[in-house]
Amino acid sequence: MSRNNVNAAAAEEPAVKAHKTPFRVILFQSFKGWMFVLPAVLLMCLFTFYPIINAFVGAFKQNYLALNDTFDGWGFENFIRVLAGDTGTGGANFVQCLVNTMVFTFISVPVSTLLALLISVALNNIKRLQKFYQSVLFLPYLTNALAMGAVFATFFTVIGTRNNVETVGLVNNVLSIFGLAPANPGYIDWIGVRSPTWELWNLTIPWAKYIVVIVYEIWSGLPFKILILFSALQSVNKQYYDAAKVDGASKSTILWKITTPLISPMISYLLITGLMGGMKQYSAVVGLFGQDMGGDYQVGTMVGYIYQYVENGFTGYAFAGSLLLFAIIMVFTIINLRVSKKRVHY
Amino acid sequence: MTSNNAKGKQKFEQIATLDIERERKRQKVGSFFRKALDYVFLTVASVFSFLPFYWMVISSVKTEMEYRASVPTFFPTEGFQWANYPTVLSQTSSGDGSFWQILLNTVIVGFVSTALGVLLTILTAYALARVDFKGKGLLFTLMLGTMMIPGEMFTLTNYLTVAKLSWNDTYTVMIVPFLVSIYYIYLLRNNFKQIPDTLYKAAKVDGLSDIGYLFKVMVPLTAPTLVSVTLLKFIGTWNSYIWPRLVNTANWQLVTNWVTRGFVDRGGALYGGLYGTSMSLTTLKMAAVCMVSLPLFILFLSFRKYIMHGVSKSGTKG
Repeated sequence: MSRNNVNAAAAEEPAVKAHKTPFRVILFQSFKGWMFVLPAVLLMCLFTFYPIINAFVGAFKQNYLALNDTFDGWGFENFIRVLAGDTGTGGANFVQCLVNTMVFTFISVPVSTLLALLISVALNNIKRLQKFYQSVLFLPYLTNALAMGAVFATFFTVIGTRNNVETVGLVNNVLSIFGLAPANPGYIDWIGVRSPTWELWNLTIPWAKYIVVIVYEIWSGLPFKILILFSALQSVNKQYYDAAKVDGASKSTILWKITTPLISPMISYLLITGLMGGMKQYSAVVGLFGQDMGGDYQVGTMVGYIYQYVENGFTGYAFAGSLLLFAIIMVFTIINLRVSKKRVHY
Repeated sequence: MTSNNAKGKQKFEQIATLDIERERKRQKVGSFFRKALDYVFLTVASVFSFLPFYWMVISSVKTEMEYRASVPTFFPTEGFQWANYPTVLSQTSSGDGSFWQILLNTVIVGFVSTALGVLLTILTAYALARVDFKGKGLLFTLMLGTMMIPGEMFTLTNYLTVAKLSWNDTYTVMIVPFLVSIYYIYLLRNNFKQIPDTLYKAAKVDGLSDIGYLFKVMVPLTAPTLVSVTLLKFIGTWNSYIWPRLVNTANWQLVTNWVTRGFVDRGGALYGGLYGTSMSLTTLKMAAVCMVSLPLFILFLSFRKYIMHGVSKSGTKG
């Protein structure tokens, strides 16, 4: 009797399932679903999917002037000219922009992550005033890069003529207090046209301008990193520290051998997002140096390079530049994921 | 023998306690110094993070002469120059767009694009989370795939597209291309997925339609995420710079474009016209910077939790 029932149920089950969703219902569900997503899908087709295809097509159109809709045929000429710095329009040089972006990113991201780690550890150690310090340190969390870039620029800007300097800027004031300012002219022109540079192969390394950008990047990157690392530290099991203390581990041993490995997933997350964000850097440099990015794109970034060709109408170079940027970001993503898989403690 | 033993024991205990006490003292002093070091380090870091804000505010109320003094002052010694603000606010030239025009643009674009964008996000996330339709998997994969691509690649073609559509110098051009943010759809979809299916069945029994269920049950349940998305969308408009600059002329641009201009004493009313009517003045610039930064500050202080929630998940700002 019961056995029969079981059999009957088993025999019925597939039939019930098949009966549950007849074709009519599937059709109705699909119709309903597509109605919900239709506005978004239409917008994405026009403003997301089509641009991706168009970028891959446009990059191979030689002498492409999109606003006139003219081009001379297909090929790799755009890429060759972009990489060789031979676009014949003046302005930014791709290799220079690539080097600039790399220097900014590879110095500011690790330094600000390390600083954020030390600050979070210190924050985690104290009890009194912890909330106060936390609030002050989070203040730069939400800012406007163009506005705050202008403020940072004032720290470094020398106002006046060569013979009649009015103010040398706060940073130069501090440097001269410690006797670090060069004797002649008594200040460093961080931002202006007399900014010191090194020559390296065919490149100009405007190191003083680099420092300005890096200081700004560290300042603006800190709060987010502190937030992430501080909350990671607070969720670390206290037993690890007790065990380490029993074994007589010193504070620095605890920091580098226990804390850091334990929160390494967060550190690696910050490094990856930081590096990828750094590659797309643009507005901070414009905020600091203005739209020509330090005079003829001396501290131009890769994104700045692309927009330059959007604005002067040489769309082919802009597309080629954007594909190169995309490729570089992809390479970084892959390397980072490989490295973090090996080294990160989970 | 026994007394000797006792004596030795006593001595040993004495030495032991002494040692322990000395060790404790040493540790105490050590930890005191370490604590002090922590505080010093945090204070230095706090000064570094706060100084730009302080400098921006005090510079905005200094006289230009005081700002340009060879020895910088850390407080406006020549009195607060509130006149810097009206000078900045009244600044217009032909086709330049006054601050009020720019603010109006920003508020309109901000509200419309936030409202429509959030609505689109809700509808799309709902379908992706709850409705089983043909092609959903493919659509979702395509959407996630585009998240790896740098935004500049879209901007290039969109710049050409809107020119073909003759959208330049409109509000539409700043609203429509950015209505769909795939990341927010993804975020909200994950939130929707966590809501148990039984609620849906209960709502159906109560005779709610899909739309009714979405807006009466799911939206209230995911309110924190929606608040984050709303705030970040608005902040995104407030901070957007490159797109308005590319597609619109000055009158149609937004506050971040406005703040990058040079600010001059156009009326020649400040300091008896000492700096003329064409020299860019840092104090005026700082006043403009303060005005653009203040709303962000207020938003951050009042909605800190929501903003941090949204940003810490996306890893990007706005």
